[in-house]
Amino acid sequence: MSVGGGAPEVVPEQLLAPTQPPEAVAEPEGGAPTGDRVKRGQFRDIWRRYKRNKLALVGLGIVIVLAVIAIFEPILTPYDPKEQNLLNTQQPPSGEHWFGTDVLGRDLFSGILYGTRLAMIVSLSVVILALVVGITLGAIAGYRGKFIDTLVMRTTDIFLAFPFLIGAILVVRIFGDSVQAVIIALAILAWPTSARLMRGQVLALRESEYVEAARSIGASDTRIVLRHILPNAVAPVLIYAFTSIGVAVVAMASLAFLGIGVPADEPEWGRLIGQAIQVIQIPGKDYLWIFPALAISITTLGFAFVADGLRDSLDPKLR
Amino acid sequence: MVKFVVRRLVQAIFVIIAASLLVFLGLFALGDPFASSGEKVVPPDVQAALRAKYGMDQSLPMQYLTYLGNIFTGDLGIDFRQRREVSEMLTAVLPNTLRLALAAILIDVIIGVLAGIIAAVWRYSFWDVFVTILTTLAIGIPTFVIGIFLLANVSGIWIFPVVPRSFTVEVPWYQEVLLPAFTLAIVDAAFIARLMRGSMLEVLRADYIRTARAKGLSERAVIGKHAFRNSIIPVVTYVGISIGVLLGGAIITETIFQYNGVGFLLFNSIRNNNQPVIMAIVVFGVIAYVVLSMIVDILYAFLDPRIRLS
Repeated sequence: MSVGGGAPEVVPEQLLAPTQPPEAVAEPEGGAPTGDRVKRGQFRDIWRRYKRNKLALVGLGIVIVLAVIAIFEPILTPYDPKEQNLLNTQQPPSGEHWFGTDVLGRDLFSGILYGTRLAMIVSLSVVILALVVGITLGAIAGYRGKFIDTLVMRTTDIFLAFPFLIGAILVVRIFGDSVQAVIIALAILAWPTSARLMRGQVLALRESEYVEAARSIGASDTRIVLRHILPNAVAPVLIYAFTSIGVAVVAMASLAFLGIGVPADEPEWGRLIGQAIQVIQIPGKDYLWIFPALAISITTLGFAFVADGLRDSLDPKLR
Repeated sequence: MVKFVVRRLVQAIFVIIAASLLVFLGLFALGDPFASSGEKVVPPDVQAALRAKYGMDQSLPMQYLTYLGNIFTGDLGIDFRQRREVSEMLTAVLPNTLRLALAAILIDVIIGVLAGIIAAVWRYSFWDVFVTILTTLAIGIPTFVIGIFLLANVSGIWIFPVVPRSFTVEVPWYQEVLLPAFTLAIVDAAFIARLMRGSMLEVLRADYIRTARAKGLSERAVIGKHAFRNSIIPVVTYVGISIGVLLGGAIITETIFQYNGVGFLLFNSIRNNNQPVIMAIVVFGVIAYVVLSMIVDILYAFLDPRIRLS
């Protein structure tokens, strides 16, 4: 998901390209105890490889902190993040207002925390929506092939031809400015990438020997896709999901920066920067944009680090 | 080869037409541009006259087909605000965006390719780690944060013009293009550096490189001639698609620096609900992207015979 001007303008497909599926884990069907032990060992292996990557650990820390802030935001904010006080605007950081106050006199620290919650809710919703639609359509297209495949793939062609941000702006304008509109717009623009990713995975796995084995013992198509193909396609999808969260955060902030999407009175990160843009060239007003900009950057970096770490640990062959 | 080109061409035309239909329906869903809104009251007969003037009294399929037909004659309609020809508005800002796109590409190719080669040739050295860290940061930090940073700290200093620009100060285009071009180039340079490093490392493992070294060629010739040519292919692809994306208007970057390009025009048109201009720019952006990725595909098949076969 790249965003005209905002998030990386182009996310080259090579970089999101379907990664090779991990070795099919021989998991005897019905043999619960054995399967369980295999799984536990697998997770330990993944964690052991993940731990080796220091940046991935930093990323994990960031993600955990963000999650905590997002969940406990109402308790953590010292002030009402939306309360404006036009008599007390653009106060520099102080003991009273840690990050100062913004152009509308809101406490910037509370605003950033509120923005964290907003960013997490929106980006998670976008990624989940896009993944559900994308995985379903991609799996069907890849497994069934023929007409359905052509239909789904040509549809993704059309959607991918739109500049990401511009497409999102149009969709938001149709639904009117609101948080839900942003979620819908970003999900509409994001599903084709996950559909293609999933289709590539299914195409590669469909012809593999263990799937053929499952087919030969008479497993139904649904069972083959859900039990045999999906679990082996999880790694690239998970990596993609973590990458996408960062992209969704930036996309929402970019939209809000342009004054589109999240309503003006919400202290959203991109909004905060957009509202400060008139005064940011005045010396000493840096804090107005630096704090929200830091929040966005730390978030995207954190999720990117985790995605990188997962890439290395879920599939050692890729190293 | 001919079959491949034809198939690709048909696909491109299909995507463009389908995308234009989507935009058209999207704009229709945006609502009536001539309706009364807020304090602005438009009498019904004026609304009807405006609709008739812009052909919006006809049925929706008719409007779309007319629009599609007009595109081929270069007629993109007239804008709602100042009754200018949309095609003229577009051609007025297009050179600016073209300059910006090319400047950004020039910067990111030079930086990206050099950094990628250095990182690959001296793998695991200090410079490799340095490049890796920089690319990670450049990809992780959003373009618009970089743009805001440059706007807040660099514009107005030395050769970098003040933003928002004053209409009494004449700024040559090559100065004006600098900051937005750098902003756009940073992310792309990082992607190119990574691509270049990866493909260079792969190529360096190839047998023909060992052969070249074995027959006593200098390291310089091995890297510069033999390895470079084959490892640059993914970069060519990336750059081609990147140009397509940039031509459609870097809306955030151009808006931050108030750069008079396609993206900034689009931003202003969206604000004013100036539908003919939005339609023209979005369709233009789609065409630019589709055509360039088609060219890249064909070029790729031309450069690498292995792809043609599949």
